[in-house]
Amino acid sequence: MDHFLGTTVWFVPCYTLIGGIISGMWSPGILRRIGPRPAGYANALMTLLAFTHSLFALPGIWNQPPQTLSWTWLDAAGLHLSLDLEISAVSVGAMALVTGLNLLAQIFAVGYMEMDWGWARFYALLGLFEAGICSLILCNSLFFSYVVLEILTLGTYLLVGLWFSQGLVVTGARDAFLTKRVGDLVLLMAVVALLPLAGTWNFTELAQWAQTAQLDPTVATLLGLALIAGPLGKCAQFPLHLWLDEAMEGPLPSTILRNSVVVATGAWVLIKLEPVLALSEIGLAAAVAIGSVTAVGASAIAIAQIDMKRSLSYSVSAYMGLVFIAVGTGQTDTALMLLFAYAVAMALLVMSVGGIVWNNITQDLTQYGGLWSRRPLSGLSFIIGGAGLIALPPFGCFWALLQMADRLWATRPELVAVLLLVNGLSAFSVTREFGLLFAGKTKPMTVRSPEVHWPMVLPMLILAGFALHVPILLWQWQLLPDGLSFNLAAAILLSVSSAIGLGLGAFVYIGDRWEKPVRLGSASLQNFFAYDFYTAKLYKLTIVFAVTIVSRLISWFDRYIVDGFVNLVGLATVFSGQTLKYNVSGQTQFYVLTILFGVATLVTLAIWL
Amino acid sequence: MQLQYFLVLAAALFCIGIYGLITSRNAVRVLMSIELLLNAVNLNLMAFSNFLDSGEIKGQVFGVFVITVAAAEAAVGLAIVLAIYRNRDTVDMEQFNLLKW
Repeated sequence: MDHFLGTTVWFVPCYTLIGGIISGMWSPGILRRIGPRPAGYANALMTLLAFTHSLFALPGIWNQPPQTLSWTWLDAAGLHLSLDLEISAVSVGAMALVTGLNLLAQIFAVGYMEMDWGWARFYALLGLFEAGICSLILCNSLFFSYVVLEILTLGTYLLVGLWFSQGLVVTGARDAFLTKRVGDLVLLMAVVALLPLAGTWNFTELAQWAQTAQLDPTVATLLGLALIAGPLGKCAQFPLHLWLDEAMEGPLPSTILRNSVVVATGAWVLIKLEPVLALSEIGLAAAVAIGSVTAVGASAIAIAQIDMKRSLSYSVSAYMGLVFIAVGTGQTDTALMLLFAYAVAMALLVMSVGGIVWNNITQDLTQYGGLWSRRPLSGLSFIIGGAGLIALPPFGCFWALLQMADRLWATRPELVAVLLLVNGLSAFSVTREFGLLFAGKTKPMTVRSPEVHWPMVLPMLILAGFALHVPILLWQWQLLPDGLSFNLAAAILLSVSSAIGLGLGAFVYIGDRWEKPVRLGSASLQNFFAYDFYTAKLYKLTIVFAVTIVSRLISWFDRYIVDGFVNLVGLATVFSGQTLKYNVSGQTQFYVLTILFGVATLVTLAIWL
Repeated sequence: MQLQYFLVLAAALFCIGIYGLITSRNAVRVLMSIELLLNAVNLNLMAFSNFLDSGEIKGQVFGVFVITVAAAEAAVGLAIVLAIYRNRDTVDMEQFNLLKW
């Protein structure tokens, strides 16, 4: 039975895809006379099936060597495209996590989307996402990973643009699509360049090839940089990070997934590509540099946000930056562990915040306060999520960050400093959100704030329970250091940085000891962070400006030079016809003259030649 | 007396006829110019039959035919001119430019 479940685990993406397709039936234009709710139920059922399958397949695959499956996709003149799947403990575990989080998010959405008619479209896209992520996880081929990444980019466009009657949604969806698209296209360059070099797109074979490959350093560097570019856009790293901020315009239940799982798809590909990246020192250094800059910058920006969803979205960029650092220093297992612990914590944070947005309407943190006494469940979930996100022993991310710090301790101490700084800033940011939401006095928007109904509370509490069990799971999987063999200094430093962040955040935002609204430093500095380093303006002034100018020039050239030339030919013909007709003068004597001239000319020519 | 002189005279007559044909405004003068052209041709025929074919004088036979046909043509031409004149009350060639572009 276990064996059967293990070998058929590739059904999982199919279930969810079928669920998505079924959901489409309840679109208001197709089934006009019944509401859209069955779409959600059907999709949740299919997700439950997928979750159960991957969960039950997990014991069978545990401690087994990875199985591979391969189908031929296309075999044409020297190009053999095979769809390779790898069924390993990591991939099945990741699928269980993804389908589990999806199930919870879909149940959450049943509550959250109650007053919405667009369930069919929403759930169909969720099903598409789930299928895409699961197939990305299973996929052992760079080419098909790229294919799935592109489909997910399209899915992001459609899902962010769910409520397309809102102006900001449309621009946000546009930016999300284009920004991720740019990264994906550069990744495509690397994918195409890799085939002649390595002769394969299979990740396992790429790793084997990379061990002995002798590449020209320039080629290796360019390849590494291009391979980073795809995940760079997907993971919302600097400088392609604005889309995640704007994607917060989408419906919140999808944000749960986006923040926890979808951005991790880029990191997943990056982790799988680590052996190839390791061919180039500069590529690794770039990954580390991008990760560090994003981690520090985004966690600082997160502190300066007043929109609670956006504040969390910058924490997402920051933690993805940490994953970049981990991959850049060759710690793929740490990166996977961090992704796992982070996904659970972030999903929980977004769910908790989503429940609060649902019945307090505003997303403005400055309009909130004093929810703790009335929203204990949301508050507890937020605390558990926040604790799981920062390095607070014994919660989830602590162990991943500890392992990372431990490994960087001797070789890259400056990265440990980055880690500590990011951790401290994140702790401050989470505490700030908690303080603004739950502590202090009530404000007009929060005077009446009942706890939300069960479809939103239930998944939140289940996830909170799961988040509490993450350390136990890690221990079960023997991912935690035995006994006290871990780097005690690193553990203490991490805890201290968390404590400083938590303490400062609590001091500033919980209670009345600091004047609200908080002013830290000069207003221009605060605005600099609040407006995300003015990235939107930066895009507008550089790349958007350049592309606009060039396209206007090309359009002008096309309209006036290319079209003009063709039109000139036509005009010249019309003009000559209009002019030459005056040769038919109506005078018989003129015709005779013409005949004479013709004859004379012919005779002259005949004599001459 | 040589063949060339006759030919040159005929050519000169022909050119005068052409000049008249193209420049005259009176339709009857155009017909008269055509007669000049035909006479120039007849002069050529006579000259050739005298100098080159004095035995069988086929040119002279041709000449008789040309004169005959020229008379018929002049008759038809004058009839056409009369027909136009009846409609338009003029024989000015520059008024007959209705069939232009």
